[in-house]
Amino acid sequence: MFFTVIEQVVNGIVSGSVYAIVAVGMTMIFGVLRAINFAHGEYYMLGTFGAWFAIEYFDLPYPVAVVIGVVTTALIAVIVGNFVMQRIVGAPAEAGVLATLGAALILQNTIILVFGGSYKFFSGGYIEPVTLFGFTLAEQRILIIIVGMIVFVGLELMVTYSRMGKAMRAVSQNIECCAVVGIDVRHIALWTFILGAGLAALSGVLTAPVNVSVYGGMGELITFKTLPIIIMGGLGNVRGTFVAAMILGIAESLVATYIGLQFRDTVGFATLMLVLMWRPHGLFSAQARF
Amino acid sequence: MTIELSRRGFCIGTALIGLQTVSSSAFAARSEDGTVRLGLVAPMSGPNARYGSFSMRGAQMAAKEINSVGGVGGRKINILPGDSQGTPVEGVSATRRLIDQDHVDFIIGDVSSSVTLAMQPVAEDAGVLLLNAASSNPKITYKAGVGGFKWTYRNYPTDENRALIVLQYAAEKKGFTKYAVLSVDTDYGRAAIEFTKKYLPRFKSQILTEDYYKEGEVDFRSVLSKIRDSGAQAIIMYGNADSTPIVGRQMMEVGIAGKIPLIGNAEFNTASTIKAAPKALEGAIEAAAWLPAYESEKSKAFVEKFTAEYREAPNNHAYVHWETVHLLARAIEEAQSIDREKVRSALSNIHYTSAVGEVTFDDHNQARLPMILLEIENGKPAIKGAYSAEIDYPK
Repeated sequence: MFFTVIEQVVNGIVSGSVYAIVAVGMTMIFGVLRAINFAHGEYYMLGTFGAWFAIEYFDLPYPVAVVIGVVTTALIAVIVGNFVMQRIVGAPAEAGVLATLGAALILQNTIILVFGGSYKFFSGGYIEPVTLFGFTLAEQRILIIIVGMIVFVGLELMVTYSRMGKAMRAVSQNIECCAVVGIDVRHIALWTFILGAGLAALSGVLTAPVNVSVYGGMGELITFKTLPIIIMGGLGNVRGTFVAAMILGIAESLVATYIGLQFRDTVGFATLMLVLMWRPHGLFSAQARF
Repeated sequence: MTIELSRRGFCIGTALIGLQTVSSSAFAARSEDGTVRLGLVAPMSGPNARYGSFSMRGAQMAAKEINSVGGVGGRKINILPGDSQGTPVEGVSATRRLIDQDHVDFIIGDVSSSVTLAMQPVAEDAGVLLLNAASSNPKITYKAGVGGFKWTYRNYPTDENRALIVLQYAAEKKGFTKYAVLSVDTDYGRAAIEFTKKYLPRFKSQILTEDYYKEGEVDFRSVLSKIRDSGAQAIIMYGNADSTPIVGRQMMEVGIAGKIPLIGNAEFNTASTIKAAPKALEGAIEAAAWLPAYESEKSKAFVEKFTAEYREAPNNHAYVHWETVHLLARAIEEAQSIDREKVRSALSNIHYTSAVGEVTFDDHNQARLPMILLEIENGKPAIKGAYSAEIDYPK
């Protein structure tokens, strides 16, 4: 009994790590652009497709495919960032919603047009099960947890110490003041967006081996899983997002075991409703972004 | 006042005349067109897009074969696709578009039972023949023919048959009595389990855990560990083909692959699925309407031609749509017209030889068809026989 609970918590941490890497990008983009990026799941999908393409068409090894997936997505993000996201800075909230939803539709349907809507089989990655402390996990899941940790420590260090990170924090606090002291807000917005999209792509490529299937519509589900997480974490709050992702992952896993798999997807939105009722700023104060 | 009224009347009148001209010219275009306008509603995108693309290819191949020998009664078959995305809402609007804008005379669709159930009243209102080729929920033909919907026909076996056949094989040949349920959360997945439950007492069996997954679900680890600890001897799964490789992989992870087999129907026999998780699929038992390994001359010729054409082996949905387009063409030929009423009565009286046997329809417009039972042995599907059963319609 106790062992089952522990095992489910570990399962939860694995899915939580995936959510965390995707959500952290979305929350940073919100911090800087003040817009919820409804296309975020599509970058997750693009990253996976990039890697799948590299493996399927060029027979490249998985680690190379990871790099290709992330870099391709970052390049697409440069284009979308220049033409769409930069224009959202300072625009009303509706503009952000429409622009990102539009971007989501275009990206998703372009992929469906080019590769067809059917599921593709992702053959890369390290799927052999290994036993650790009595739990059996695919090697890839351990990799996901490790990469998740590295990403978060890296981001913490970046926003605390690097010039770019400090500028991101500044922009998320007050755009006008940043403009006055000479921070190029549009430049920072672009880079935050590219970083966020790249992280979503990384998460997609890392999970592809355990999720096996790759298809054009896969990003939508991720966007809707991520949305409650970033709101719970306090929009724009990196640490809060990490904790909220873990809570959601573990809660989902326990619900799937003890209540029923069919109730799993309700967890995110049910928790979100509770949080909005009692702590509308998220579980962690959104006062100090990042 | 009176002037204004008549002005308004004039405006409305003009508008009506305009509308009439438009619609009559559309009608003229349709009859002059000289083709059989056939709508195909299938999930072309979304989590079931794989089914849609196979369905479309199967249907198109059939249309090509028919058109290359001059069509039916001199008319070429023109397939107009409608994307249901596997959801009832989109399925209904796709059906409306096909009827109102594309002016189709016949519709084949959908794959998902939930969608077909929603399409039935739409087709009925329009008086357009809805010939289903791939939905297995028994309710569809409970409600058709003498059951109500005169324009719905189904050329596909139902879940009630399937549930019984699978359970019987598992109990008698394998000696299973304890099951876990992991099915898709749709009309298809839930109804199949309902019928399974109906027959459980007959085989002195019981269900220990019951879970339904949402389409597109990717994390089955929690539920699979629960099943591992429950003491179940097999997992009853009526699910989506695309989820099967994911489940298989995660069965290997939690250590139940090769110990607790999957039984039911979710394309366990597809080569790429077996390749994704060979150990988990070994011993899987499935009842299917058709599979590429089926031994008959017509079936083998179809597999060969389809594989040559699309460089991919066909699945069940490709086959049933291919066969159903041919069936419809035969009905049109026998009716000697594309008049919907005549084609419908031709269909009711048809004796058509398909790749799995003779097709006739009962008074609920349900085709009498066998189910093929197979088991995965050494990574290959082995056919264990074809079974059929008469359906008990609820009175």
